[in-house]
Amino acid sequence: MGVVVKKVDLTWLDRTYLWPVAKGLFITLKHFLRQILTTTKKRQTVQYPEMKRPVSDGYRGLHELKRHEDNSIKCVACFMCAEACPARCITIDAEEFGDLNTLQGIAEKRPVLFQIDMLRCIFCGMCQEACPKDAIWLRKNYELSCKSRDEMQLGKFDLMNTYAEEDGSERVVPESMFKTSNNQLS
Amino acid sequence: MSDFFTSLGVYIPIIWMLVKILAVFVGVMSLSAVLTWAERKGAALIQDRIGPNRAKIIGNIRLFGIFHLMGDGFKLIFKEDLVPLHVTRGLFWIAPLLAFVPAMMGFAIVPFGQSFEWHGHVLHMSVIDPGNGMGMLYPMAIASLAVYGILTASWASNNKWSMLSGMRGTANMISYEISFSLAVIAIFLQMGAYDPHEIIAAQSSMWNVVRQPLGFLLFFVCAFAETNRLPFDFAEGESEIVAGFLTEFSGMKLGFLWLSEYVHMVTVSALMVTLYFGGWQIPFVANPGPLLSFIAFALKLLFFCWMFIWVRWTLPRFRYDQLMFIGWKILLPIGFANLLFYAWLINKGVV
Repeated sequence: MGVVVKKVDLTWLDRTYLWPVAKGLFITLKHFLRQILTTTKKRQTVQYPEMKRPVSDGYRGLHELKRHEDNSIKCVACFMCAEACPARCITIDAEEFGDLNTLQGIAEKRPVLFQIDMLRCIFCGMCQEACPKDAIWLRKNYELSCKSRDEMQLGKFDLMNTYAEEDGSERVVPESMFKTSNNQLS
Repeated sequence: MSDFFTSLGVYIPIIWMLVKILAVFVGVMSLSAVLTWAERKGAALIQDRIGPNRAKIIGNIRLFGIFHLMGDGFKLIFKEDLVPLHVTRGLFWIAPLLAFVPAMMGFAIVPFGQSFEWHGHVLHMSVIDPGNGMGMLYPMAIASLAVYGILTASWASNNKWSMLSGMRGTANMISYEISFSLAVIAIFLQMGAYDPHEIIAAQSSMWNVVRQPLGFLLFFVCAFAETNRLPFDFAEGESEIVAGFLTEFSGMKLGFLWLSEYVHMVTVSALMVTLYFGGWQIPFVANPGPLLSFIAFALKLLFFCWMFIWVRWTLPRFRYDQLMFIGWKILLPIGFANLLFYAWLINKGVV
């Protein structure tokens, strides 16, 4: 199938080639001056480490294990997330939990090990949807670089602290957990 | 103190010569290094980008990314100097210098300020003093040598793309050299001199760009072809022949080949300023003195260096047949017509 090419009739001024070149130079100068007079904040380019684009509301980034007000973990080790996970990246080890905690209600189970293999995770958010306790959230952090494979295996306390600095909440460390609940079942 | 200088006597010209050589060498080298940064930054701003701005020294001093050129320099010097097995060894080592030295040498004739008298000696602000008998023929001859750098580099690479680039670059430079020379000859005719000092002195009332606008246009277009800059960068042509003659080079050899392009830009800009824009002259100022005249020259030089960058990021590359068409069928007749027209005017005694 042939395409009819429209021929542009050039004026004698365009045929000199010099006048179009002068116009072109003027255009590039205009861009140059506009760009040089624009402040960094108003430019299209986002200067990444210093400036960040806001991520969308539905963004699924690094996980957080939510906690109660007394910093105890919300997760009840029901294994729903691990079952829902299409990448099979969640490993949970449950333990019995005798000391009745008012905030946790009648929960008697909690994870002793809750590990997410971030190298396998596909950030699909199925774990968040499956969770009956609303205990795992996928939030906005997308800067997940690290120097070794081992660092990408996030454990229970790592996951509870992922957004601690951003939210201004206390960092949960294993020792403090032992202090809050005196009656540990081994 | 003044007794000390007078006691130097005959050694003053020698010392002044050494100072000049050092100043010109260091000045042109550092200017062309800064031009590599200006090119990157200018390209970015013209294309609505930001360009290099990450390199920083002493805490957080960035200065619009000017330290990138230090980074580039260190990288090129300390990078592995890879010599592929299939190259012609000797020529491969000489080629970067063959490209670099002629580009540097051309600047020697250019007066970068007004001559002045100091303790009974007339000191000239150009490496080669006036009255040497070579005049503007010297940079023209030296500029022709630059083609050997490209040709040697491409031949030594033993690479088909490099070879093509060498052929294209040579054809490009040789065809445009004729029009280049014709434009300059018209200047010689009208000025009645070919010494740059005399040409500048003759422009005190009116710059040559007003007297010979067509000649300037011719010179300007050919300057782009002479320096292998866009829209005539047929030797490099990265979209067609990889990087042309640069393909097999690495480390500081590549650095010298790159730098020679910018040194060439500086030299040709200096020639343009000398021939058409009154050299160190300032309009309506009769005797600006060495310092002011140098500043005037430097500003004009920087403007034309910027012009090279500006044009590069405005125009796309010509096709090869278009290059030959423009060179031989348009610029050459215009060059002859320009020359004959001024010859006729001078014969009639109009100018």
